[in-house]
Amino acid sequence: MKKVCLFTASALAMSSLAFGGSFQLNLQGMRQTAMGGSGVAWPWDVSTIFYNPGGLSRLDGIQAYANLYMVSPHIKYVQTPSGGYSYDTKNHTSTPFAVYVGGPLKKDSKWGVGVGIYTPFGSSVNWGNDWTGRYVSESIKLESIFIQPTVSYKINDMISVGAGFVYAFGSVDIDKAIPVQDANGNDGQAHLSGKANGVGVNLGVQIKATDKLQFGISYRSGVNMKIKNGDATFNVAPSVASNFPNTSFSSQLPLPSIFTIGAGYKVTPKFVVQADIVFAGWKTYDSLKFDFDKNTSSLQNSHDPRLYKNTVAFRIGGNYQLCNKLAIMAGGAYDPTPSQSNYVSPDAVDANRITLSCGATYQPIKKLTVMAILNYTTTARREVSYAPDNLVGAYQIKSLVPGIGVSYNF
Amino acid sequence: MKKTYIAAIAALSTLAACKPNIESQLPTKGTADFTTYVSVGNSLTAGYSDGTLYRNGQLNSYPSMLAGQFKMVGGGDFKQPLLPGNAGWPTLKRVLGYSTGCDGVTSLGPVFYSGTLDTAGSITNISAQGPFNNVGVPGIRCIDYTTAGYAYGALVLGGVGYAYRFYSSPTTEKPLDEATKLNPTFFTMWLGANDVLGYATNGGEGNGTGGTLPTDISPVTAFQSVYETVVSTMVANGAKGVLINIPDVTSIPFFTTVPAKGLALTRQGQADSLNAAYAPLGFKFSVGANYFVIQDATAPGGMRQIKSGEYILLTIPQDSIKCAGWGSLKPIPRKYVLDATEVANVQAATTSFNNIIKTSADAHGLAYVDANAYMKTLQSGITFNGVTFTPTFVSGGAFSLDGVHLTPRGYALIANEIIRVINQKYQSTISTVDVNKYSGLLFP
Repeated sequence: MKKVCLFTASALAMSSLAFGGSFQLNLQGMRQTAMGGSGVAWPWDVSTIFYNPGGLSRLDGIQAYANLYMVSPHIKYVQTPSGGYSYDTKNHTSTPFAVYVGGPLKKDSKWGVGVGIYTPFGSSVNWGNDWTGRYVSESIKLESIFIQPTVSYKINDMISVGAGFVYAFGSVDIDKAIPVQDANGNDGQAHLSGKANGVGVNLGVQIKATDKLQFGISYRSGVNMKIKNGDATFNVAPSVASNFPNTSFSSQLPLPSIFTIGAGYKVTPKFVVQADIVFAGWKTYDSLKFDFDKNTSSLQNSHDPRLYKNTVAFRIGGNYQLCNKLAIMAGGAYDPTPSQSNYVSPDAVDANRITLSCGATYQPIKKLTVMAILNYTTTARREVSYAPDNLVGAYQIKSLVPGIGVSYNF
Repeated sequence: MKKTYIAAIAALSTLAACKPNIESQLPTKGTADFTTYVSVGNSLTAGYSDGTLYRNGQLNSYPSMLAGQFKMVGGGDFKQPLLPGNAGWPTLKRVLGYSTGCDGVTSLGPVFYSGTLDTAGSITNISAQGPFNNVGVPGIRCIDYTTAGYAYGALVLGGVGYAYRFYSSPTTEKPLDEATKLNPTFFTMWLGANDVLGYATNGGEGNGTGGTLPTDISPVTAFQSVYETVVSTMVANGAKGVLINIPDVTSIPFFTTVPAKGLALTRQGQADSLNAAYAPLGFKFSVGANYFVIQDATAPGGMRQIKSGEYILLTIPQDSIKCAGWGSLKPIPRKYVLDATEVANVQAATTSFNNIIKTSADAHGLAYVDANAYMKTLQSGITFNGVTFTPTFVSGGAFSLDGVHLTPRGYALIANEIIRVINQKYQSTISTVDVNKYSGLLFP
């Protein structure tokens, strides 16, 4: 009955999750995260399974590796062009992690195998149910886990290649208000919850041009995360409940392909610098669609334009070996946003991001390394709208992500 | 070292640098002075909603919303002649509820609120609390605005004491006197709708080309003269302001909800018997949607089928259609119909009055809100922060349950349109109202 535009701005949106560690922020390896997310050219450790599978066969031996991050992004909305209204997202912490095991099968083997389990998306944005954009988004939570068995082959001293198969699974939870108020003035509520999965590949080549200079190329395919039989539940005033039947839904979220080229250079025996250029195929994220099994005049399938553009990001960092046991690293990145300024929804707030990062690794005993990093991301004030919902405002994002990790060489 | 590192991280996490620090731009007043704001108008200005006036409706009037935004640019307090209760006065408000028709079908629709009428204290004169910033009076016309003793006259004529209860000298005063008491520095004026609406909501039974009864269309010359007097008086001390024109009333749900082609026949037998009965007059019926039969004194037999572009009023007794054969076996009485001639009268008057308003705004250098054009954009939907409003009755969210006046959210949309025009005219940057902060219709 009400032209609710119910899901016009729904929200499996990628970029809000980028806090939580999409490939754009590269929260998959400690050293790489500390170096601005760069790392396609240099096989730092077994997390190269993610950054460049081609590096796996060049490791010294089998390594087990785990890390954990604390992600709690802050987003603020302010009314534009003038006004007194502003709103901050509720504080919420999520903990993306990564585990890798792998390396050359035996010493001097040309073959390396391994498996990585990592969480490239895993975050939540919670605006709450009393802010002005609640009919567009109250909260979104996405968790995902990628499992990537990987094989790598060292063709010669110069070139190694690798390939991983990615199986991705995850879940999504979306809450938004429905503009139908009950007798007490409370909004209706929609909750969408579903499991998603998809497959992809991760391919890489690493080239050791000289003892000092290395190159890397990696291609991570797009992963089309499909949701089937998600649960859509509605809580609305009894008199309109039949307009909002609880139903199942299907949807899909095309995660973009990522093509990365990079180089690393050993400036001195103790000091390595590296840089990556990252091409992200965001253009596949044209719209977000929800198909409900039961449709009513109030509950229509939705088609929500996103109109993302492809992006090119730059990452740079350095690693300095202070002494045998202690290394420090630092770096930065510039991630341009794939979103257009009139298609930025509060469930997918994004802007050009500047990232600064640092970290340290320490070897308390032989074979064991502990790692800690800090990653700071910020955006400038960005004035945007989400045109389909006529939600206009300025946003800013800040995020400080600490992480710890440990690795063990067998 | 790891421990201290983590401690350092914890400390860092609480740093202000980790929180976004953008702020919204402060609104500015531009070339206008909002210190003392007075709103002139009728029921729309008073905050009338759901078929009556009640306290929450007044608190959510568009002038009250505007005053809230003006406060950020130096505006003062905004006093309204609030009623004591929330049930409605002098009639109960409508709420959405269930009612069972003569056909035994129970449906959701507007019903009278079940509470007790706000009689106690409502008629008490509260002028001692005034003067009031919101002098909107339900029912008042432009041509009433210079009538001495209007408030008393309205009361004894069988009207409602809306003016009587807050005018300081209701027996002698002109409405204009009440509007200028605070010597406003800024005013909004949305006056004139009742100079045509009363005719329309009574099915065009009054004088459609110029009369002074509430059911007539006001004479254009009288309208022009009074309107000009009111505006000149309001700006006499240098006040700036906004003149708001009259929406085309034939686009509101009061006229558009009951469709002209609303006679639904489900069986061929029904169509056959109607065709037989009306054979002499040549009316045609078939299974499906048919045009209602209406009274028309100028037609053969005193009746005809309604045409597209003619309207049936929301106030038509639905049970008479369902069970008493109105519109099929019997013609719908003409007081429930706005026929083509009457629609033309309404639209001609609206155009004339709006020309007068526009001319006056230009002559006095005042801002001009084309509410008529704005309400037309509502036809295709106006979206605010994820909610789309349309003029559709009940489900559209903008119109209240009387089909004429707005919901608080509908009033907030108008407030934002007024702000947009003020900002344009006076180079101010007053911020818009958060429409979603207010209520739409409440569903049981």
